[in-house]
Amino acid sequence: MTDVRTPTPEAAVTSSEPNRSRWIVLAVVLAFVALLPFARWLESYNYVLQVGTIILMWVAMASSWNILGGYTGYTSLGHNVFFGIGAYVGGMLLVEAGISPFITAPLAGLVAMITGAIVGLITFRAKGPAFIISTIALLLVIFLLLDNWEYVGGANGLSLPLAPFELSWVKVPFYYGMLVSAVLAVLLGYRVAHSKMGLALRAIAADEVKAEVAGIDTRRFKLMAYALSAFFPGVVGAIWGYSLTYVRPTAFFAISVAAQFVLMSIIGGRGTVAGPVIGAAFIIMLNELSVTYLGGSEINLAFTGLIMVLALLFFPLGLVGTLRATNKLPGWLDWD
Amino acid sequence: MTNFVQVVILGLLLGGVYALMASGLTLIFGVMRVVNLAHAAFIIVGAYFGYYLYEGLGIDPLISMVLALPVFFLFGVALYRILFPRIEGSERFGEMTVLLTFGLAFFFEGLMSFFFTGIFRTASTGYSTDAFFIGDIFIPKGQLFAVTASAILLIGLWAFLKYSRIGYGVRATMQNRDAAQLVGVNVRSVSTISFGIGMALAGAAGTLVSFLFAFFPSRHWQWLAILLALIVVGGMGSIKGAVIAALGLAVLSSLVTDQISPEWAPMSFYGVLFLMLMIRPQGLFGKKVRI
Repeated sequence: MTDVRTPTPEAAVTSSEPNRSRWIVLAVVLAFVALLPFARWLESYNYVLQVGTIILMWVAMASSWNILGGYTGYTSLGHNVFFGIGAYVGGMLLVEAGISPFITAPLAGLVAMITGAIVGLITFRAKGPAFIISTIALLLVIFLLLDNWEYVGGANGLSLPLAPFELSWVKVPFYYGMLVSAVLAVLLGYRVAHSKMGLALRAIAADEVKAEVAGIDTRRFKLMAYALSAFFPGVVGAIWGYSLTYVRPTAFFAISVAAQFVLMSIIGGRGTVAGPVIGAAFIIMLNELSVTYLGGSEINLAFTGLIMVLALLFFPLGLVGTLRATNKLPGWLDWD
Repeated sequence: MTNFVQVVILGLLLGGVYALMASGLTLIFGVMRVVNLAHAAFIIVGAYFGYYLYEGLGIDPLISMVLALPVFFLFGVALYRILFPRIEGSERFGEMTVLLTFGLAFFFEGLMSFFFTGIFRTASTGYSTDAFFIGDIFIPKGQLFAVTASAILLIGLWAFLKYSRIGYGVRATMQNRDAAQLVGVNVRSVSTISFGIGMALAGAAGTLVSFLFAFFPSRHWQWLAILLALIVVGGMGSIKGAVIAALGLAVLSSLVTDQISPEWAPMSFYGVLFLMLMIRPQGLFGKKVRI
């Protein structure tokens, strides 16, 4: 990744003064999130921590998806394939070699990343709809392979040993694992957005032919975007599998999981750095509410679909995008 | 040898139904550049339509198929009117429609799971378990009826596109949307009608599914993946390509089922899809589009 910052005109105007308050708000939010596991007096402590863990996991995943689907404009409808691959790598290393997924998570990310690059080599010959179709096909191919591969447990998947932490603290390491992943994933998204690579990706999204004519090596940048967007889903997959204590194809490769990536980015604002963060928090909390009050996962699924349709029709820029378009985006959320 | 002929025949019977399923999808893409990811979900809606008419009122699914055509056509037209005019001017229309129909697929899957539950269903008509014998080779009656019905619908579609006035408009739009508009084709109404026809074909295919397969709401993703593979391999927007891909790949998947095992049968569709993307991304009969 080349690290040449391209200061936007807006950034030049709104420097110094608002910048400081922006950092203060961000620091407060981050401190609150980081200290949450110490709030043990909370009545539903375990529930809060669990939801927090899931939100942070999705922040990492949606931010990664956004590099490919948002900046580059190549929608992946099978991104949970990397989530699942990460879970299997972490799970297998735990079962076979006894190494904790907390240690092997980066390796799981790397395997996901390499998979992404290889798949990209094949599928980037296709553009637009054919590319999107290839991402769905990839998901189903990997699902089918792992579902029938007895070495990794076939359809029953892997059973993992419980994490060796004291019971009342057992959720805390997972929470911090996801927090670190989420922060790093958002930082990655930020760095990419503010690099030459980010410029190239946005040029590809705007008009790929023109980008190529302008001398951008579109193929290389698209491959890099695909590979980078696969890394953190792999990392959090390894951690999440450990916290579930099982890795089963249906739990990771369901297409409804893929829908979450897309939905979060759309709701938050595709192609913005802060969008997936807001989208992930919003969608997970909405899911929790709908499960609590509506019950039944069937209606929840219909609800997910309905939100996606309505958001696309009436709210296509997402939260961050809409606020920016109306100049109401608070400084501490303006990371682009 | 007999076994081989038997397997190929079963493959072709299956492929005939896949061809009908895929034709609506590729027609909609050809005219509107919309990949309708909810297509297979609508096929399942059609399957419940056939199933409940049979179980409730005793109407044979083959008759429901004829009923499904106008019902689903109107449903398609209504859906088009509600959803698409809003995003027509969007910069990334193609991508928007993919996401929109992706959401739609979940919406309908959720509704079906809620109302019809996730239980496996099949309309058990008299012919769905019966078979003809020619020497040692057996031909399941249900499959044969379904393929015949598919063939009639596909020939009807072909004749409609080839000889009717609207069909001219549809083909002109498929070839070149802007040029068609220039020579006076009302592209919007052609799109509406095509979406309706695509939906009618999905509904009709669904009624055939109702007695051919055990179906349940979330089954549509598996079928969707197969159909998407078919239209990419055949060349997106080419009905001829979709039919040829359906027949060819269904035979291949029957051979895989017979020689290796049924679990790997879907792999023939995905494998050929990835192979085609590597060698010839535009598919067998697709136009080479430089985007």
